[in-house]
Amino acid sequence: MRLKSRLITTGMLSLALLAGACGGASDGPVKPGGESNSGGLAIQGAGATFPYPLYSKWISEYNKKNPSLKIDYQSIGSGGGIKQITERTVDFGATDAPMNDEQLKAAPKEILHIPTVLGAVVVTYNLPEAKNPIQLDGPTVAAIFMGDIKKWNDPKIAAMNEGAALPDKDIAVVHRSDGSGTTAIFVDYMAKVSPEWKDKVGVGTSVNWPTGIGGKGNEGVSGSVKQTPGSIGYVELIYAKQNNLSVASIKNSAGKFVTPSLESVTAAASGVAARIPDDLRVSVTNADGEASYPISGFTYLLVYKDQDDAVKAKALVEFIWWALAEGEKMAADLGYSALPPEVLTKAQAKVRLINVGGKTFVP
Amino acid sequence: MIAVLVIILGYMLYRGIGAINVSFFTDLPKPVGEPGGGIANAIVGSAIMLVVAILLSLPIGVLAAIYLSEFGHGWFAQTLRFLTDVLAGIPSIVVGIFAYTLIVIPMRSFSGWAGGVALAIIMLPVIIRTTEEMLRLVPQSLRDGGLAVGAPKWRVTVDIVLASSISGIATGTLLAISRALGETAPLLFTALGSSLWTTNLERPMASMPVQIYTYAISPYDEWHQKAWAAAFTLVAIIFVLNVVVRFLTRSKHG
Repeated sequence: MRLKSRLITTGMLSLALLAGACGGASDGPVKPGGESNSGGLAIQGAGATFPYPLYSKWISEYNKKNPSLKIDYQSIGSGGGIKQITERTVDFGATDAPMNDEQLKAAPKEILHIPTVLGAVVVTYNLPEAKNPIQLDGPTVAAIFMGDIKKWNDPKIAAMNEGAALPDKDIAVVHRSDGSGTTAIFVDYMAKVSPEWKDKVGVGTSVNWPTGIGGKGNEGVSGSVKQTPGSIGYVELIYAKQNNLSVASIKNSAGKFVTPSLESVTAAASGVAARIPDDLRVSVTNADGEASYPISGFTYLLVYKDQDDAVKAKALVEFIWWALAEGEKMAADLGYSALPPEVLTKAQAKVRLINVGGKTFVP
Repeated sequence: MIAVLVIILGYMLYRGIGAINVSFFTDLPKPVGEPGGGIANAIVGSAIMLVVAILLSLPIGVLAAIYLSEFGHGWFAQTLRFLTDVLAGIPSIVVGIFAYTLIVIPMRSFSGWAGGVALAIIMLPVIIRTTEEMLRLVPQSLRDGGLAVGAPKWRVTVDIVLASSISGIATGTLLAISRALGETAPLLFTALGSSLWTTNLERPMASMPVQIYTYAISPYDEWHQKAWAAAFTLVAIIFVLNVVVRFLTRSKHG
C-alpha cells in the first residue's frame, strides 16, 4: 500500500511537471526567424564576448522604447559569431576580428561588417618594484613575448624606463590558451612592428606561442598576472581596469608613449579613418597620430545585406541605427571607446545597404 | 565528505550572498550597472529542458534496462551494454555538437528542444546502467515465486521486479538529473541561452549553467557575485531534489 501511494505521489509530481512544460511549449509554434506568439517579433544575435555587456545594455534600453520587440544577444565568442551567422542560425553575428576572405566566401550571401565600438588590448604586468607605469615599444614587447628578453632589468627595457627600479627578476609570460579576438589584435600589432614575429609566430586568433603559460579567457590571464610577481600578459583594457592591474604605456608610430584609455583608442580609429577600405574590414593597430594608442581594434556586427523577412529586417535595421546614434553615448560609461565621427558615418552607410528585395529601411 | 560539501556551499554563499534576494529569483537578468536583476528565466529554462530530457530518456532508459536485465542474454545485449558505456564516456561538448548538427542547423534556430535532446543523451546511459544494476539486485527467488503462481513473465517484470526496485530507479534517475542540471557545454550551442522570458521550446532558452558561465567570464565584480549566487542556487536545487526523492522513495525496510 505504502509503495502504491508513493508511486501515485511520484506520478502526480511528474504530471505536474509535465503540465508546466506543456504550458510552456503551447505558446505556439514559431518559425525560426518569424514572429513569436508570446509577444511580437524576436531577433537573435550571438558572437563576441567582449561587447556583450554593452550590447545587453543597448538591448535593455531599446526594449524600454519598443517593448513588443524581443532582441537577445548571447556571448559565444567571435569564432562562434562568425560560424552562426554563416549557418544562419542567428539574425546577426558579432566578432572582434573581421571575417577573412575565406570565411566570407563560405557564407551563403554577402555579409556586412558594421563597426560598433573599439576595444584596446593592454600589456599588463605584475611588478611591485616599479612605482611608475612602465614604458615599452612594440619590438621590445615582441621580444618579451618571444622569450628573447628574459629579465626585467634587461638593458632594452631599462633604456626606455630611466630611473625606474627594475629588479633582476625573470619575466613570466602569460598568454591566452583559447582562440580569441584579443589575441588576434595583439599579434597583428606584434607582426607589424617585429619582422621576426611575423616570420616565427605569425597572426591569427590563436598562435603557436614560443614561451609562457596559457590562461583561459581575459579573466584567466588577468588572474594569472595578478597572482604571479614578475609576470606580463595582455588583456582587454576593461579587464585590466576592473582588476586594478598595472598597464604599460606603448610607443606609437609617432614615437610617443601612450597610455591606453578610451580617448587614445578613439584617436587611433581616427588615425586609420582615411585609409579604411570599403568593406570596413581594417586593422587599427599601429595607427597614425600622436595621441593614438597602437593596440586596438573595432568590434563588428555581422549582418546579411540581402534579407528575406521585411518585418524582421526593418526591426533589425532600426535597432542598429538607434545603437549607432544613441547607443554610442552609453559606451564610455561601460568602458568602451566610441567610434570617431568619420567612422560612424561609414558604419551608418553600411546599415543603409541592408534591404529586402531592394527596399531599404533607414529612416 | 560533509566537511567538503559544507566548505563548498559556504564559500559560494559567502561570495554570492550579496546578490541573493527575492528579485534574484523572480526577475530577468539586467545589464551591468543596473541594480537588481535575477536569473528567473534561467531557472525556468533549466526546468523545462530537464523535463524534456526526462520525458525522452526515462522511458527509453528504463525499457533498455529491463531488456538488459530480464530478457537480453546474447551478443545483442552485450553490444548494447558496451555501447551504453561508450555513450557514458563521450564528452558532453560532443553531445552538444551532435544536437547542434541534428536539430539546430536544420531548424535554423537555437532552441530549447535541442538543449533538451542534448541533456537526454547525457542522462540516458546513467539511467540505463543504474536501473539495470537495481533490477539485478532483485532476488531470483522473487521472480521464481511470481512465475510459480502462474503469472506471465511481463507481470512478474512489472509487478515484482520493477515495483521492488522503484527506489533504486528513482535514485539512478536523480543521479542523471543532477548530472544534466550542471552541464554547460552541451547547452552552449543548442539552447544557446537568453536574457528574455523563454518558455517556447522552439526559441533559444536560458539555463542556469550557461548564465553562470556568462556572468563568470565578464570583467565586472557585480556579475561575478551573481555567478556565485547562481552557482549556489544550482547546488541548492540539486540538494533539495536529492532530499525530496530520497524521502518519496525511502525503502520500506528502513
